[in-house]
Amino acid sequence: MLRGVDLDLPAHTLVRIEGANGTGKSTLLRLISGIDAPTEGRVTGRRPRTAYVPERFPAALPFTAAGYLVHLGRIHGLRTREATGRAQEWLARFGAAGHARTPLSELSKGTSQKVAVAQALLAEPELLVLDEAWTGLDTAARGELDRAVVERVTAGATVVFVDHDPRRLAGAVDVTHRIEGHRLVPVTAAETGDGTAGPRVRIEVTGASGAALPPGLPGAPVQEPRTDGTVRLTVAAVHSDALLRTLLTARPPWHITHVSAAAAPEPTPRTAPSGTRQAR
Amino acid sequence: MTALIRYQAALLLRSQRWLAPVLLYAVFLAVGVQSGQPVLDSLGYAAAALLPVTAWLVQLCATQEPPAARTVAAAVAGQPRVHLASLLTAAGSAGLLGTAGTVIVLLISDPANVDHTVRVPLLPAALAGLLAAVCCALLGAAVGALCTRPVVHRRGWSVATTALAALLSLVTTGSPAKYAVTGLVTGSLTGAVHIPVLPLICAAAAACAVAAVVCRLTSLRG
Repeated sequence: MLRGVDLDLPAHTLVRIEGANGTGKSTLLRLISGIDAPTEGRVTGRRPRTAYVPERFPAALPFTAAGYLVHLGRIHGLRTREATGRAQEWLARFGAAGHARTPLSELSKGTSQKVAVAQALLAEPELLVLDEAWTGLDTAARGELDRAVVERVTAGATVVFVDHDPRRLAGAVDVTHRIEGHRLVPVTAAETGDGTAGPRVRIEVTGASGAALPPGLPGAPVQEPRTDGTVRLTVAAVHSDALLRTLLTARPPWHITHVSAAAAPEPTPRTAPSGTRQAR
Repeated sequence: MTALIRYQAALLLRSQRWLAPVLLYAVFLAVGVQSGQPVLDSLGYAAAALLPVTAWLVQLCATQEPPAARTVAAAVAGQPRVHLASLLTAAGSAGLLGTAGTVIVLLISDPANVDHTVRVPLLPAALAGLLAAVCCALLGAAVGALCTRPVVHRRGWSVATTALAALLSLVTTGSPAKYAVTGLVTGSLTGAVHIPVLPLICAAAAACAVAAVVCRLTSLRG
């Protein structure tokens, strides 16, 4: 299925895998998450704490949603009480708190998918693998998953994902690889139009006099110092929450004076039809 | 591993799939064990009945997770550990079942040899019965593990091979289960209690070897 794959997964990285149907994306993700072993070659490095979200999760398991999450949390190494708390928290974040006591077999497709996503996020994994995890989620939950993914990357995790939407997490993806033939080829930023697509947020901040912005800000925002002592940061919208959190928790903290939506920059001309990027 | 076993045990318990093999064991005991029969005969019979029941339990536990849920757990703990947890859950349930069966047999049987002339000491008999049950459970677990995924994936073949292999491992000369059971039954003729230590060691070694092989295979064959 796949041959000559050479993929490095450093920390703090969001990796996108592309490829047509049936080229082996899911196979590659299963190898990355350590579910399957390669018949040839090997996966090196310490096995990170891994979580995997399958594309479809029609789990006919005899548990309630919360019960399943607590079991998975314990397998991840959490204590029962901790797992219970986080299960509630993540179900609430995805708008499924009302289904905590519903048996998994009675959940709708979308809500099952929310449970699948919650099990992966509740243990704060070092490696998060998402196989079209957005499929079946409602718009609010998709946005929440985008934010959660960026949070994980900001916290130092590696996230690998496959999604059919070419704009998924645009502006946040660090590396893109495409499966062509049986090989994995890196895709350059120019080809994906990465970093330019997607909505952006403008944040104006003031700090203590002479203080420098913390290094390694989430999303690598564009920084423009202004005459009145404020700094204007422009960042992809998916990174904005993580950026705000970093600024507010920095020592000394930064004061947020203004947050506004910035116009998405003009798309650079490329061969792909422009309609694909506008459709949102 | 504790969390994984807890998860697998909860799955087995709540799915109620355990009901069929437990009923089968109960039927075996109801048919073959009657009160007042010589204790060693009945212990041998109860231990032998445990072998196919354990094989069935292993098969249920190994296949009880839907594939999507299996991949989710496998990403966290690795397929081999998940599979090992399912095997241990099945073996543990069989152990409970076997202990219950042995206790019932000890309570209702006559502590004497076949023609009720020689008294059989109950404590050594209990130990011999228990060890024979463990021996059969371990061998049954090995048979079950070899006849389900990742070795045999098709359900029909899995059931057929399990039934055949369970029967063969009870009647084939050299099988630790046969040795342990015949030890009890022949001992019943004279009233001598044979503690099946050697068969137990052999069965444990076989079960460990099979578990090691099949758990490794899960990463390659699913």
